[in-house]
Amino acid sequence: MRLPSFEYLEPRNVEEALKMLADHGDRAAVLAGGTDLIVRMKQRLAKPAILVSLKHLQDLHYIRQENALIVIGAMTTLVSLQGSELIKTHFPALATAVRLIGAPPIQHVRGTIGGNLCLETRCLYYNQSAFWRSGRAPCHKDHGEICYAEENSDRCRSANQSDGACALMGLGARIVMNSTKGERTLPIEDFFTGKGETPFAAGPDELVTEIQVPIPGESEGNSFHKLTYRSAIDYGLVSATARVDVKEGRISEARLAIGGAGASPLLLKETAGRLVGKEVHDKHAVEETAKQVRNQASAFMVNNLGSTVEYRKKMSAVMAKRAIEEALDRCHENSVVKRQER
Amino acid sequence: MKKIPLVLHVNGEEHDLYISPNRTLLEVLRDDLELTGTKESCGEGVCGSCTVLCNGLPIRSCLTLAAEVQGAEITTVEGLRMEDGRLDLLQQSFIDHGAVQCGFCTPGMLMSAKAFLNRNPNPSEDDVRKGISGNICRCTGYTKIVDAVLAVAKKSRP
Repeated sequence: MRLPSFEYLEPRNVEEALKMLADHGDRAAVLAGGTDLIVRMKQRLAKPAILVSLKHLQDLHYIRQENALIVIGAMTTLVSLQGSELIKTHFPALATAVRLIGAPPIQHVRGTIGGNLCLETRCLYYNQSAFWRSGRAPCHKDHGEICYAEENSDRCRSANQSDGACALMGLGARIVMNSTKGERTLPIEDFFTGKGETPFAAGPDELVTEIQVPIPGESEGNSFHKLTYRSAIDYGLVSATARVDVKEGRISEARLAIGGAGASPLLLKETAGRLVGKEVHDKHAVEETAKQVRNQASAFMVNNLGSTVEYRKKMSAVMAKRAIEEALDRCHENSVVKRQER
Repeated sequence: MKKIPLVLHVNGEEHDLYISPNRTLLEVLRDDLELTGTKESCGEGVCGSCTVLCNGLPIRSCLTLAAEVQGAEITTVEGLRMEDGRLDLLQQSFIDHGAVQCGFCTPGMLMSAKAFLNRNPNPSEDDVRKGISGNICRCTGYTKIVDAVLAVAKKSRP
């Protein structure tokens, strides 16, 4: 498969890159690792006239602690995240998520956390070759007026299958974007629009430069679980991230995110809230919450990924349950470690 | 489309090229440098048959623009053999263990396995399976491939 033609720009630093995006905006696409963009260009799903390569922006490759935050440069490779003690200690959910993206040759050198966060939403009927799609009228995401995943849908029902996005949603990250007009920071909930056609709040002149994740307290735990048919390469059919805090044997805070359901990772605030006040060993409460997750996620799931929608709905509860239980176990482990340190 | 000058370092040799920016590393390796050991299969980053090493780490050459690896040291399967012309231990082990069936995935498997062994010279079977998890063998001859990689690891142990 050949790539369409484009002009190739190589900014030397962030300022140059922002200037190029300001000048070329809609006609340009940002090339980080390219593991998503290049495929979409080969399939003629993305046709940027200009590619702005970020290869010289090594300034954006960092993981460090700043006060109560861990800050991650957008160009940080997925392998660097897996190997980082800061990430492994504070965010096992994120370490697991990036380990499960693609396969080792995708996580090295090319795969970046910024790119994974900006992974386009996907659909069985959209992410296909130009030849495959040529037999049908274009769908909503392809600027048409039809949806093949959900009959009579008046909008695109593609799904967000980014593991990094689901983990960062569960961890309550904030996304820093820059443009020539300045910098803005959005809570990750606001970074996603929930619309399949235009899933991200970033403007065409904006560049995601940093991801900030609040460091969890000592009694907190977090976990990520993902369902795939194969253990490598596959995009997740459904995934779940849980973050919980335990005080005196009871859950004092909980946050839940589900990936592979809607066009944004779903943040289930109310459902997670049901866990608050429950005892750590209250298996029934976890079961009930998982059931509620299934109800909530089901409303967003349509037949758009490589598995039946009924199976994905059922498994959303299983993934949520596993994530919550593991996060609770990690709360326990963290407090044991703390006690031993004293 | 404006062509761009490009210097590629492949298997220790320097190549001065003048290419369109939409050429992938895979296309340049095969069509311009005639290094046809690297194979194209899916072209979408799924199968791993186009795997080459970029500064010692495995990458998908079908998803990498040639312009993106300017200045990096690229190693293809042709660059694996030892200086005296003999096959690399890993290549010989693939032959000895019957790890080559149709052979199409072999160059990619070798490169992934090579990079993996460089980082983890003493792997368990599970480590090896994870290390080559990004490479698909449609003949499904994984067992012998894993045996071949483990045998090299065992041989190079002090």
